[in-house]
Amino acid sequence: MKKSLLVITILTLVISGLFAQSITFWTTETESNRMQRIQALATIFQAKTGISVSVVPVQENNMFSRLAASKAAETLPDIMEDGIEPLVLLGTEGLMDTKLNAKIINDFGDIYTGVKKLLYAGNGGYYGIPFHAWVQGIWYHKNWFDKDDLATPTSWYNILEAAKKLNDPSKEIYGIVLPKQADDYAEQVFTEIALANGARPFDAQGNVTLDTPEMIQSFAFYKELGKYSMPGFTTVLDALKGYLSGKAGMIFYSTYIMDDLAIRDVQESRIHNFDPQLVKNTGFANKMINVDTSSYGQVVGLGILNSSKNKTAAEKFAKFLMTGDNYIYWLHMAPGGMNPTRKSIATNPKFLDNPVLKRYGSQKIATIIAALNNIERFDFYKGKVVTQMSKLSANFVIGKAINLMFANNWTPTRTAEWAQKEAKRILGK
Amino acid sequence: MRNHSVGTLEHKEAILGWKLIAPTVIIISLLILYPAIYNIYLSFFRVSLNPAVPNQFMGWKNYVGILKDPTFWKSFGITVTFTSITVIGSLLLGLGVAIMMNRKFYGRGIIRALILLPYVTPLISSVFAWKYIFLPLNGPLVQFLSSLHLMNSGTDIINNPNNAFVVVSFFNIWRNFPFVYLMILAKLQSIPSSLYEAAEMDGANWWKKFMSVTLPELYFVIASVALLRGIWNFYKFNEVYLLSKFAGTLPIYIYNTAFAGIPHQGVAASAATILFVVMIGLITLYVKKVLKW
Repeated sequence: MKKSLLVITILTLVISGLFAQSITFWTTETESNRMQRIQALATIFQAKTGISVSVVPVQENNMFSRLAASKAAETLPDIMEDGIEPLVLLGTEGLMDTKLNAKIINDFGDIYTGVKKLLYAGNGGYYGIPFHAWVQGIWYHKNWFDKDDLATPTSWYNILEAAKKLNDPSKEIYGIVLPKQADDYAEQVFTEIALANGARPFDAQGNVTLDTPEMIQSFAFYKELGKYSMPGFTTVLDALKGYLSGKAGMIFYSTYIMDDLAIRDVQESRIHNFDPQLVKNTGFANKMINVDTSSYGQVVGLGILNSSKNKTAAEKFAKFLMTGDNYIYWLHMAPGGMNPTRKSIATNPKFLDNPVLKRYGSQKIATIIAALNNIERFDFYKGKVVTQMSKLSANFVIGKAINLMFANNWTPTRTAEWAQKEAKRILGK
Repeated sequence: MRNHSVGTLEHKEAILGWKLIAPTVIIISLLILYPAIYNIYLSFFRVSLNPAVPNQFMGWKNYVGILKDPTFWKSFGITVTFTSITVIGSLLLGLGVAIMMNRKFYGRGIIRALILLPYVTPLISSVFAWKYIFLPLNGPLVQFLSSLHLMNSGTDIINNPNNAFVVVSFFNIWRNFPFVYLMILAKLQSIPSSLYEAAEMDGANWWKKFMSVTLPELYFVIASVALLRGIWNFYKFNEVYLLSKFAGTLPIYIYNTAFAGIPHQGVAASAATILFVVMIGLITLYVKKVLKW
């Protein structure tokens, strides 16, 4: 009796071990409250499908070194969540299953064209599946604009006029807080400005074009705007605090600002104060116009790896994460910051049923999400992904150029020439 | 016969000795030698991230590429200057403070503990604290200095790329002098007072006592601390990178060349090997000439 029981137990264990599937999922959402949500989704997924998911948090900056180590140890993930640049870079190294990613995108059928083109790998394949996205734009005190009869800050002209008019350093109020340090934020803001002027760091042949007349004009506009900005080599936190505390008329920021504007606790954690009227009095310019119209944003994608031994399970998990309540539960991790890339979810009343999103109302949320379709970036040009850009971004070439321009009072031409030379040096051209 | 038995005993002791250190030797080999050798091995390859693509043998190409890069040599020069300035700076400051703290005064215990703060505070918080006190307009130090009309409140000292080297060096000296101070103070306390008494009887003043008693007694401590700090600062990455993107020392050069974008592990490995060889050479010379081992 005892013996047969033992045999049955062992057999069950062996069989369940043979058939139980498990996959590894790498995510860049490393904060503990986000990890809890992801873990909860993984548990529900396992209950529904029997596939266990081990969720591994990976800092964005460590992604590549972790991948290198995992490759050596043969423990690469089956599926990962990361920004589009790393996904594209890994894709060009042949790590991504571009066909399976494409199949999932096609199965959904309602992913915004504007975001999926950024992950296009050619030949109908995709380096990843667009998962969620944010848009950058100018957030401004609408009531100040109304008082001074200023126009919406969407064109270069309007932005500069508003910055001039609102700037009053004697009262410690500034027109804008512009990034002036060598970091990603400076590059993100400059991208929007340059694209509005039709300037790009590479031409269609892949030559560096950081010293073109359009580019020099963009640096010139940036420098002019800097005159009406808060003193110092300001960065993203200065911008956020400056705006919330009413010291700056305008700032460039992503939609991640939405809970800082709307939620008392979040705002108080930044500036020890809360202005309940701030949401109502804040406007969002979701595009910029000069000779071109541009809109800048970042897309985070899911990618299934070629090396995965469990692609069916990985596909199921990707679809699970991007469907119905599961998807909404994920997006509500950072309401406003994480926006859906699927049309059907963006209009789903359940998605809008959130304390932050409610305060803005469906109309405003729709405006924000609409900008997703027009996202443009330096690393995507004429239907092709420009992989060289990631090397320049990682070396902060544009941020450094801006930092040096303000520190040494360089002319826009000199700044552009420096950036051109530095980019060529880094790319070994 | 007797000799033979002693021989056996010595032999046995030697075997026991080896047995006792064997675990340490094995662990050190696994943890240090294996990665070091694997690193040298990788430095001859173009390492692929894709498991389906094998690593490609490059011969000496990775090494030649680095040694031919003018930026490598520029960074090398910056690193040598950075290391010399910070080691000498923290030694002088540490020595001065240790000598002061060796005298008896009221509240010495608390002050001695407070001096250690820069060294024991987590790096990230001291970097942010520095950035905060120097913040234009609102930084406490900036407000204080501008109220004395010593500087314009809109000046941003820390984030100005032209100040990168000075800021990084200054920060490093400030952060690391307590380590030097601690080592020197420990030795100072063990110098017998009889030596000073004898010197006094010979009519030595403060300076002569310092030069003929204190400094010779401290020689090996200072030399060892300088060696340690030299090695650590030569490879310093985190605080330099956190403070400025413009400092341009070698570890930052390696990071930018090898890990910006798709990682080039082979290139990084060869750069690390070059530095390793340079450092081993310098350390051997230093140990022989200065530490006189």
